[in-house]
Amino acid sequence: MSDKWTPRIVVFQCQYCLYSEADQKWMDTQLPPHIKLIQVPCTGRISPLFVLNAIQGGTDGILISGCQPEKCHYKEGNLGARRQLDAFRRFLTYLGLEEGRIRFAWIDVSERGRIQQELAGLEKTIQAMGPITRLATRAIPVGEKR
Amino acid sequence: MNSLTLAIRQEAARLLEEKIVDVVIGFEAGTLPLKAQPAFITRKEEAEKLVFNGFCQNNLAAYLTRFPKEKRLGIICRGCESRAVRALVIEHQHDRDKLYLIGVPCTGIIDWRKIERRVGENTLQAREEGDEVIVTTRDGEHRFRRADVLHDSCARCLHPNPVGADIVLGDPLPEGDPERAWAPVLEFEALPPEERYAYFVQETGRCIRCYACREACPMCYCTECFVDHTAPRWTESMITPGGTQAWHIVRAFHQAGRCVSCGACERACPMDIKMTYLVDKLSYDMMQQYGFEVGASDEKQPPFAAFTLDDRNRFVR
Ligand code: SF4
Ligand code: SF4
Ligand code: SF4
Repeated sequence: MSDKWTPRIVVFQCQYCLYSEADQKWMDTQLPPHIKLIQVPCTGRISPLFVLNAIQGGTDGILISGCQPEKCHYKEGNLGARRQLDAFRRFLTYLGLEEGRIRFAWIDVSERGRIQQELAGLEKTIQAMGPITRLATRAIPVGEKR
Repeated sequence: MNSLTLAIRQEAARLLEEKIVDVVIGFEAGTLPLKAQPAFITRKEEAEKLVFNGFCQNNLAAYLTRFPKEKRLGIICRGCESRAVRALVIEHQHDRDKLYLIGVPCTGIIDWRKIERRVGENTLQAREEGDEVIVTTRDGEHRFRRADVLHDSCARCLHPNPVGADIVLGDPLPEGDPERAWAPVLEFEALPPEERYAYFVQETGRCIRCYACREACPMCYCTECFVDHTAPRWTESMITPGGTQAWHIVRAFHQAGRCVSCGACERACPMDIKMTYLVDKLSYDMMQQYGFEVGASDEKQPPFAAFTLDDRNRFVR
């Protein structure tokens, strides 16, 4: 593996979870090109199928960012999502996927800059793991043009 | 004929005669030995067709959703079937008062594949005698201990006794051993990740996408299955390695907190593909995480439907 490998990262972000305008602006305009932002109306909209699709497509790391439990714009959309997505990650881990490839961040109003920290943390984990191999049935091998 | 068959016939005839139900769902002898087939009895004279033995492979609760809700159904329910009916009633698939459950404590289903592998021959005749299964082939009679030829799911069954039945025929049985029930999940989990993935790839690689597993499952009743849903296609579902892996992952995941561990999916598979290690893992997690077991209560919602703010401190990362 060359040191120049950059992981492919997907962020599923609830549109309400970044109360800090600066953070949202950064997400909307400054994200580095290897990070893909998928904004959803609520964490509750993130079907495990989306996560699976990203993994199979060769995403090296996934960040799922949502609101703190009691702060959901739709009252309890994130509660259902948390249960499902947590169980789904356990299930994929059971099938051999490295647990660290899927990371959750439940962000509170006051936590300015947390999203950047989470992304950096995820990237560090993924760099240590290397490119995704298991379950990535549609991945384009590293080194080939994307 | 065993005494249980007799008792079932009598009860079915009574239910139809007294117009308590419109149809009794049970089993009749199939065209092949070792395989009984589902029967739908609507006239009391037909109750004579019913049989009950270890060759009854299907989960009869799978037929509950195929009848209109106005129909009053009588269903022969072993442990797993009664739990599936409970889960389906909680999911509003039928009104409980339109159901009459004929409970039967279950000594387990005989795995015809285990028998055929051992005799290496076509089975001409098969019968049960107490704790034994007696199989006739061209070269004569073979005797097996029931316990040796049970289907894997039945060998590790936790709750063989029906829950919430209207009548129970036969004597209650001892409950199953949890250690035995969860051993396969824990053993699989203890393997290195690459071996677990390799096993998954190997099993899914043989799948011919016939969906018999889905049709056999009492909890797979969606009018349109995700796998047939092509616009938009939320996840790959084509006949490719990835599509088939996704099929196995998502089918199993849809059973989280709903699967009754009957093993009907595995028994239905023409390719003998293992898949209960997937759903059992999810059941195990639902138990560990939320203390939830399907069929344990007749009102508790499954974990994905019953989230609460008490989850606040879970899943911190
Ligand atoms: S997934 Fe398989 S074991 Fe679970 S309820 Fe459906 S048929 Fe039974
Ligand atoms: S696999 Fe999922 S979508 Fe398909 S019938 Fe079963 S529960 Fe429904
Ligand atoms: S029954 Fe077996 S072969 Fe058919 S779709 Fe299910 S796993 Fe695949």
